[in-house]
Amino acid sequence: MSDTVMIKIKKRPWYEWLLWLIWAFILVFIYQNAASSGGELEPRAATIFWVSFAVWLLAGGVIWFTRRR
Amino acid sequence: MAKNDQFTLNRRDFLRIAGLGAGATAVATVTKSAAAATPTAFAAGKFSDPAGRPKRPWWVKTVDEPTIEIDWNVMQRYNERTGSVRGPGMAGYVGDDEVDRLTEAASKNELERMLNNVDGYTLKDQALKAAHVGIGKSFLGPQEAPTPEDRGVPKWEGSPEEAAKIIRAAMRHFGAATVGFIELDDNTRKLIYGVDPDGKELIFTDDPVASEDDNARYIPNSCKYAIAYTVQMSTETMRRSPTQLGSQTTTLSYTRGETIQASAQEFLRGLGYQCLGESSTNALGIAPAFGVMAGLGELSRLNRLITPEFGPMVRVFKLLTDLPVAVDKPIDAGIMEFCKRCKKCAEACPSESLSFDDEPTWETRGGWNNPGHKAYFENSVTCYTYWREQAGTNCGICFAVCPFAKKDKAWVHEWVKAGASTAPFLDSFFRSMDDAFGYGTQASAEEWWSLDLPEHGIDSTQPVMEG
Repeated sequence: MSDTVMIKIKKRPWYEWLLWLIWAFILVFIYQNAASSGGELEPRAATIFWVSFAVWLLAGGVIWFTRRR
Repeated sequence: MAKNDQFTLNRRDFLRIAGLGAGATAVATVTKSAAAATPTAFAAGKFSDPAGRPKRPWWVKTVDEPTIEIDWNVMQRYNERTGSVRGPGMAGYVGDDEVDRLTEAASKNELERMLNNVDGYTLKDQALKAAHVGIGKSFLGPQEAPTPEDRGVPKWEGSPEEAAKIIRAAMRHFGAATVGFIELDDNTRKLIYGVDPDGKELIFTDDPVASEDDNARYIPNSCKYAIAYTVQMSTETMRRSPTQLGSQTTTLSYTRGETIQASAQEFLRGLGYQCLGESSTNALGIAPAFGVMAGLGELSRLNRLITPEFGPMVRVFKLLTDLPVAVDKPIDAGIMEFCKRCKKCAEACPSESLSFDDEPTWETRGGWNNPGHKAYFENSVTCYTYWREQAGTNCGICFAVCPFAKKDKAWVHEWVKAGASTAPFLDSFFRSMDDAFGYGTQASAEEWWSLDLPEHGIDSTQPVMEG
């Protein structure tokens, strides 16, 4: 039995941060459209944008969680 | 020691800081946008243009010629009295008996729908429309405001840019949405009617002062500057077309136009100048043409003006003055190009009065169209027949379904308009998405009575927001 513990740290490449930045921007964009579509009294557009927001948020969460492990 | 004091930044820290910066920028943008979308948060700035031209989105380009071709040699001054279907012209196209039949059908429909409480045609809808009693219009204006002469002072003097700026400021204050100017030359004079809706001739004269008698209205040659202005319509009522509720937004805009016209006439009189207006609704000249030449918007498949700011949700008015003003140029915002591929209005038109042609044409469809320019000419007789026989009121479906008729609160609309202007190959995709997202669908008229809407049902901060 060895006394040595090896911890491997994988550095995230720069493009991964860029992808997360794009993901965040799209999330903000969808959120703004969803909230504003309600203000525009466009229920169908608001529903589509809210669903898209939830899917995008969830997709980001799942990817973050799986990659974290 | 010196090494420890040195500031170092590895790639990970750099990216974190960059990420935080981007996040802060996004939050700031959202906050700013939300503030701008709230009328109470609106803070006025000064005109950055010497003539008071509002800043417009980057995708609205000023051009020398409008986005429709014009043959000034063919164009003639139009006889609105006999040409338009709005007045006695309709009888000229279909006969007196048919006009009587349509009038009777409209009255019968109105009564039946009121008695049956049909959505949008109930007594309260009818009452709302009938409530818009305007102050009336006149060619010469009220002529009640004191002139500089009355006050014992010289008349106002300033550069054409200053004149344009103060007229814009005043007219925006009176309720106009956008204001533009053109100079009348041998060509653009043809946009002034030859005959007004009431049958009076419009005659250009060397007389220095405008006048009117039983047969004609006399326009001094010195009144060579035209002021074109738009008045917003309520999208929320128009999307309830064709109903009395939908129709009354048109009436309201015309009524507001009357007040704005009278105020503008008195304002210019107070400065020591003449201002000639429409003697009645749609009088004096061809409104969409003035709007196009003054850069307020582009001609469209509706054969009406579509503006970058409000889409087709405006009514267009015009005035003439002898105060020299800085003139404007037409614009290209990709609207006509979009219309070539969209065709949503033509598909939605219940009387099939709008053109399905791929390209605008020189060929008119009847005496109600004025030749001399390319357009998607409409069939006004079938349109008007539908109004009377079926809708029982003005229609407005083509205005309501237009993809440019958005309230512009959601960012996506601005992006789509910018995309339509710069990437026409996306136009068909934008049209499909417009349908998929449910834009342009008719809403319940009864529901409107429960909505908490701003004054006149419009967003008056919109043009300033887009700076």
